[in-house]
Amino acid sequence: MDTKTSPKAARWILERIHTDKGFFTHIGDFEEAFSEIQNKKGATIAYLWYWMQVFRTLPCFIKNKLYWSVTMIKNYVTISFRTIMKNKWISIINISGLAVGLACFILILAYVQHEFSYDRFFEKADRIYRVLVGDDRFGTEEREYNDTNPELLAPLLKSEFPEIANSTRIYKSTATEKAVLQKEDKVFYADGVYADENFLDILTYPLLSGIRTEVLKGPNTVVLTESLARKLLGSEDPLGQTLAYREKYRTYDVKVTGVIEDLPEATHLKFDYLLSMETLRSDKRNNYMFNTWDVWNFHAYVELIPNMTHESVETKFPQFIKNYFSDKNLPTNEANVILQPVTDIHLRSQIRGDRATNNEIQYVYLFGSIALIILLIACINYMNLTSARSSIRAKEIGIRKVTGANHTQVFYQFMGESIFITLVAAGFALALVHLFLPRFRTLLSTDLHINYLQNPGLLFLILGAVVLTGILSGIYPAAVLSSFRPVKVMRDRTSSGKKGSFFRNVLVVFQFCATIILMVGTLVIFKQMHFIKSERLGFDREHVVIIPIQEEETRKKAGLLKTEFLKLAEVHNVSLTSGLPTDIRSHLYGTKFQTEQGETINMDFFFDYVDHNFVDVFKLEIIDGRNFSKEHRDDDSCLLVNEAFVKKLGWAEPTTKEFKSMGKKRKIIGVIKDFHFATLHSEIQPMAVVLGGGNKLAVRIHPGDVSQTIGALKKAFEKNTSSQPFDFTFLDDEYNRLYRKEQRTGQIFGTFSIIAVFIACLGLLGLSSFIAERKTKEIGIRKILGATEIRIVSLLTKEFLKLIVIANVLALPVAYFVMRSWLQDFAYRIGISAWIFFLAAGAALLIATLTITSQTLKAALSNPSDALRYE
Amino acid sequence: MRLLSRSEELVLLAVWRLQGQAYCIPIRKTLIKVTGKRWSFGSIYDPLERLERKGYLDSYLTKPTKARGGRSKRIYFLTQQGKKALLEIRAILDTLTSGASEIKFESKSNG
Repeated sequence: MDTKTSPKAARWILERIHTDKGFFTHIGDFEEAFSEIQNKKGATIAYLWYWMQVFRTLPCFIKNKLYWSVTMIKNYVTISFRTIMKNKWISIINISGLAVGLACFILILAYVQHEFSYDRFFEKADRIYRVLVGDDRFGTEEREYNDTNPELLAPLLKSEFPEIANSTRIYKSTATEKAVLQKEDKVFYADGVYADENFLDILTYPLLSGIRTEVLKGPNTVVLTESLARKLLGSEDPLGQTLAYREKYRTYDVKVTGVIEDLPEATHLKFDYLLSMETLRSDKRNNYMFNTWDVWNFHAYVELIPNMTHESVETKFPQFIKNYFSDKNLPTNEANVILQPVTDIHLRSQIRGDRATNNEIQYVYLFGSIALIILLIACINYMNLTSARSSIRAKEIGIRKVTGANHTQVFYQFMGESIFITLVAAGFALALVHLFLPRFRTLLSTDLHINYLQNPGLLFLILGAVVLTGILSGIYPAAVLSSFRPVKVMRDRTSSGKKGSFFRNVLVVFQFCATIILMVGTLVIFKQMHFIKSERLGFDREHVVIIPIQEEETRKKAGLLKTEFLKLAEVHNVSLTSGLPTDIRSHLYGTKFQTEQGETINMDFFFDYVDHNFVDVFKLEIIDGRNFSKEHRDDDSCLLVNEAFVKKLGWAEPTTKEFKSMGKKRKIIGVIKDFHFATLHSEIQPMAVVLGGGNKLAVRIHPGDVSQTIGALKKAFEKNTSSQPFDFTFLDDEYNRLYRKEQRTGQIFGTFSIIAVFIACLGLLGLSSFIAERKTKEIGIRKILGATEIRIVSLLTKEFLKLIVIANVLALPVAYFVMRSWLQDFAYRIGISAWIFFLAAGAALLIATLTITSQTLKAALSNPSDALRYE
Repeated sequence: MRLLSRSEELVLLAVWRLQGQAYCIPIRKTLIKVTGKRWSFGSIYDPLERLERKGYLDSYLTKPTKARGGRSKRIYFLTQQGKKALLEIRAILDTLTSGASEIKFESKSNG
């Protein structure tokens, strides 16, 4: 007869229930009975019997299991609660440390998640790429990529490569300035782009009204965001409305064909409206940028076919470049085209111009690791305090073990306890997060919102982080406590809590290492920021108001505005200029120069258009030759250069030199003393300024009542032009904006190092109070034998200060190397002077000493008879 | 001797009777045969375990066999103490049941 084996699943369950000290002889009995029944009554009955056995056993088993675990859990919770209540101060230290640490961590976690969520909402986000063209014409070691390219590139890519399913272009007229949109008496500045017909097909920003494929068809059509539509048109139906659109060189009447949802915060492209590309193309004045390989004005995005990697497409690009670029006077050898995943743009952009709006992944990692360190410091507090106080709970563990608890059960008990405490701390942490979110937003200048319901992923991350924190901080104390031998702990009345003190010391050293590194970091960043702010830049950035000129009508009146402004008593001088001394960006490539030795060399230089007053308004210094002057009629073809320009060419008498550039013979009439026209990250490069059209008015005002002066400027502005709203910035702010990232890093470091110091000191406070308490008798005896209070304090304090000193010794070199590499990013930087280290080390020591002394002094001052009374 | 429960007593007797073949299955069979009642596996394991803890029984494991799904048998045998207990049980029963043959059946209404 065909014998079958017993049902596996049932056997599995039985094996769980009847462990039988691991021998499973019971299972053998069941097997035997099973085969017997099978022989007698057949397999089906045997199966049924076997399963019946299982089902009959289960209810009782579950009841027992539950009953005992509920009883034990109840006991654990009671004991945890009693421990918390009994040692209020220690519990407060533990919970507040963990709460603050977790709050920091949750905030940064939310921030990091937000930063990584950029541009993932597009339907085909994983298939959309931005086209970048790189070349090393700039001569910098690092390859620079352009996000702009010629109009012809995007359609050509689509037709050349079957892997590219679709391509689209946008054109952004100016990176920084805004256009004016007007509906009757409502005039607003807005930021927008010209976009191809299929733009919304690829970058699928959600459309509220209009048809996705139709809205950007034909000339003079515009798609508005919801909030702009409401601002301009109120509650009217926006579709079909006509608006006046004005920017510096273009004026159109445009028809609203669609409305999109307001852009999410997490997208790299920011705009309030989309104009159709046809609007641009049908205007004859823009012909120069179409059908040419010479004007690189467009941004291109491509969509790959499914399951295609961008690397495999990129390998075909070199041949493509050879075919199309070589006969068009484009760089071929150095050039390469890459496809950048759209989701990478925000954090991994390699475009210099992008850096202002985008983040850098290093910063996200940096903030993330700082948050982790803070959390770790809080965990260490818990570990140290709990394991140091383990002797207090020795009896409890002894009793537990004697009455039958095994190692694992005690381990899980203490693990559970630490998770319980972490959960309590997490409750407070969430409240703190809620409280400090607005402050945090300004600190990181991000529009971060935490909505747990809309973002369940974050909730899970937080929950996971909390449980992990509990496990991390509980694992060491639990291991220590569960390893107690009952006989030993019950017999030795005076267990000193010395056990594992080496490991605790290591942890304290680690805490203070991290704290000191953060402090040094803060000091270095603040000092560098101070240096940036106080550095003589070569121009005067105080008391200059910048008024941008955003559209055609106003531009025509710019000269008039300048003279009107000059009439005001509050105004010192006015310049109509394109370039600001904080930020001269236009780059001229490969101009030929004759050196002193008669060699011909190519040199790139930065240049911008200015007017006669430029040098005076910004208080630049001319060290050779003369400024532009109204008396010299041919100054139009002359230029001023900076020292770096002259130095690079090695000219002895620069003011006699001429060269051909921008289609004209150029004469150098003066040399300006070097000033920082870019950030202090880079060396001062060769630069020249020429006379020409300006797009902003730079007004030097007299110091005094600024708001009154602005009022006067506004009045004069509005009297002369109505086609553009009055808008202004201060040069000082423009300058500070260049260092926003550094400023932010400094503030983050500052805030977090204060928090780190706070938490680390909490731990120290707990530890030292505990040690002082343990040593009450020792102190009592010492005092009776004649020790002074000071000796006792120093005796108790010494132990801890030793650790802080070790932490200093370890942390300072690390901090030095970390901060040196941060400073390396600046061409102009402070040296890391010794006092920074002394200050950080001194501060750490001082704070630690104060913390410890507050506890030890109490012990030292106590009456010895109190301590020894019960002996 | 500590007094044993009835099931312990019966299991102890069954172990003695089975002489080196006493593990769960034959014990159970014997008891079912003798008493005519249902005995579950658990009702055997439990007294066995208690008797072992009280020191009346001891056990050893046999070689695993295929028929038992690769498991051993746990064979129980009487310890010295167990044998003594058995004798005591016998003595107690003897004392109590002396003259029992004179028990007469009366009408059911009295019961």
